[in-house]
Amino acid sequence: MTVPSGPASAEVPAVRCRSLGVSFGTVQALHDISLDLAAGRIHALVGQNGAGKTTLAKALGGLQAPDNGTVCIAGNQIPPGDVRAAKSAGLAMVHQHFSLPPSFTVAEALELTAARPESHSVYRRTELYRRWQNEVAEVGGTNVLATRIRDLPVETRQSLEIVRALVSEARILLLDEPTALLTPAATDTLFERLRGLRDDGVTILIVLHKLREVAAVADTVSVLRDGKLVLGPSEISGVSQGQLSDAIVGPAPDADRAIAVEAAANAEQQLLLELVRVSSRESAFEPGLASIDLAVEAREIVGIAGVEGNGQRSLVSVIAGLSAVTEGSVLLGGEEMTSAPPARRRLRGLRLVPFDRNSEGISRSAPLWLNQSALRLIGRRRQFPLISLRQYKRQASEAMDLWQVRYNTVAQPAESLSGGNVQRLVLSRELASGLEVLVAAQPTRGLDFSATNFVRSSLRGLRDAGAGVLLVSSDLDELFELSDRLLVMYGGSIVARFNAPYDRQAVGDAMTGALR
Amino acid sequence: MEQVLATTLRSAAPLVLVAMAGVFAFRAGIFHLGLEGLMISGAFTTVAIGDATGSVELGILAAIGVCMTLSAVYWWVIGPLGANVIIAGLGLTSIGLGGTAFALGAIFDIRGSMFTDVVLPRPVRGATSGPGVIISEHSILVWITPLIVLVAWIVLRRSRFGLRLAAVGEYPFAARSAGVNPSIVRLQALLISGALCALGGAELSVGALRNFTENMTNGRGFIAFVAVIFGAWHPIGAALAGLFFGFADAIGIQSQINITERVPREFVLMIPFVLTIFAVWLGGLWRRRTLEAEAGYAELREPDY
Repeated sequence: MTVPSGPASAEVPAVRCRSLGVSFGTVQALHDISLDLAAGRIHALVGQNGAGKTTLAKALGGLQAPDNGTVCIAGNQIPPGDVRAAKSAGLAMVHQHFSLPPSFTVAEALELTAARPESHSVYRRTELYRRWQNEVAEVGGTNVLATRIRDLPVETRQSLEIVRALVSEARILLLDEPTALLTPAATDTLFERLRGLRDDGVTILIVLHKLREVAAVADTVSVLRDGKLVLGPSEISGVSQGQLSDAIVGPAPDADRAIAVEAAANAEQQLLLELVRVSSRESAFEPGLASIDLAVEAREIVGIAGVEGNGQRSLVSVIAGLSAVTEGSVLLGGEEMTSAPPARRRLRGLRLVPFDRNSEGISRSAPLWLNQSALRLIGRRRQFPLISLRQYKRQASEAMDLWQVRYNTVAQPAESLSGGNVQRLVLSRELASGLEVLVAAQPTRGLDFSATNFVRSSLRGLRDAGAGVLLVSSDLDELFELSDRLLVMYGGSIVARFNAPYDRQAVGDAMTGALR
Repeated sequence: MEQVLATTLRSAAPLVLVAMAGVFAFRAGIFHLGLEGLMISGAFTTVAIGDATGSVELGILAAIGVCMTLSAVYWWVIGPLGANVIIAGLGLTSIGLGGTAFALGAIFDIRGSMFTDVVLPRPVRGATSGPGVIISEHSILVWITPLIVLVAWIVLRRSRFGLRLAAVGEYPFAARSAGVNPSIVRLQALLISGALCALGGAELSVGALRNFTENMTNGRGFIAFVAVIFGAWHPIGAALAGLFFGFADAIGIQSQINITERVPREFVLMIPFVLTIFAVWLGGLWRRRTLEAEAGYAELREPDY
């Protein structure tokens, strides 16, 4: 069924929930949420990591059964946790993580998620291509139909997620942090698309992190804090930026407390990390490095800008010692490390905040204390072979307290932490003593703004304490704010070098290869 | 040569049938190591019920029923009860192997082999030389195996059920978002899988032979599982892999007859297994690139629910 659209039906809210509560074990994720979302508008939902935004979106979409309370979609009450009922009431979710199976072709994926089961249960390929050619016209034309999902660039996958939602005849879209993986340009395109959908009468609830994006796209805004609705939905025009951030952070901001970073910077050694004409093989996703020269000195943050997939991952893994160098050399603190294993590089003061904190930064199933202490085990070969678990756990909990990781016990698995807390955990491990140079890859991606500020001030603190930082990011504002120097990668090489103050236009041109 | 090809078809048919069972389970995301146990249960039930009723059709129907029931139990253990898939699968295999041997003693008071008069019909027979030998003396199940492979391909690769099945196996989150209940789809896949294992077992006991022997599957369920992996869990690929393993088996049997004076028997017996290891290694090399590519999507495969 479809939902009547337009201003005439504004009295029937597209989404209504009453006294919604969700708890996971002892943690109350959502607490007594009552919310009406008017039809045909773009509603933003903001809040810190762990505030319950994703849980609320899932509860509204029927993917999470609430413990109490009710959800009505377009006037129809949805049985708790019933995805099908929510779908047939016209609601579709666009997830934070992509929800299409990577090995499916685009046509197969759309067929899987189509609303009506077709009369024949068996199909021909050409029939699928014919059926879906119109839907994919906007996301890269019909030749995309036979492409596997995993081979699509990230922004095409994102727009395909919206196509997926729309082919199920959705009149209400829930988008969970759709901009987290997008470049600024792709974000603008996405917002353009959402405005178009709204003008066609689609109701949109979008979970966002950056207040700038809220102002850019939303009609109304609601704020969640600690599982409670603390603001809204209010007209965006009636809320100031200051009110919004106060509502998000709450009365007692605890995040910006400065942290004393001990960087064991070696006073004599200025050049901490050096890459001399380094080349590497291409990976499945990215070009390899093509003769890269790069140096990071003490007391500086060197930014790496570039559209994703231009060799940034190769660069980080070459420095970390995770992929082989075909030519050139890597030096840490003046010491030749080209073929040294990661552990030796870490002993020499290299620390790493990896791209994917959930898969590369932590072991999701291991307890917090083990994740936190992993580095302490490196270089233990010459020490006494037994360790004291109690001591390790105590040190881990001290470090995590210092970094304000929110956790219940050091024995809980790392996957139980929210995104921002995982990043704090990674930082608490990597930024411990012995650090000389830090490679930080997308350190604030997907973090709310208080966690983002926290990470950024930590990086600055590191620099001021004498360490060198290589910051890889796709957020130009972040790079401009933090970097002392900025390098732009394109197609596996460094195509431009900038010094502050930065010219956004010039950097942007370099990123798109206009300089070549 | 004709003899080798004929033996290949005969050896391959049960492997291919059970490999199809493995493909259904694998695509639903289940590493099904209980194939061996289901296969031998199918072989035993066919002989036991077939012999008791005098009807091979009833025997096969009973075998399908038993294997589907065991599959439903397996689903219940790994799904609702949350047991480890591999361990439960190996347990199913042990139950099948041990249970059939026990039942043979307890019901029929027989140790070793039980012979029977019931046998599957053999549409073409009588050729003793020339190309006719290749197709002669095969049971009806050998003849319809290609048809079953074709149907499996249509169901898995060209049907909406197949899409749901693959989504459940690859990315349950996607299936759930599409309004599919992964648990039910897994049950359906396991039931189909059980029925195919029953056919594979029946072909072994009353198709190629006329008896049930303790442990007569002799690792074929595991070889079929290897065929699933080697065939990249594609029905046609797995069928070709099963055919190849059948060929390796036939070479082994044939050389046992011909060259045992010159080569020690043990080495001849190794031929199928050495070929299998070699083939799996080759298959691994061939697919390494794609696997590497998928490993990079860890973040995509592990959405936080």
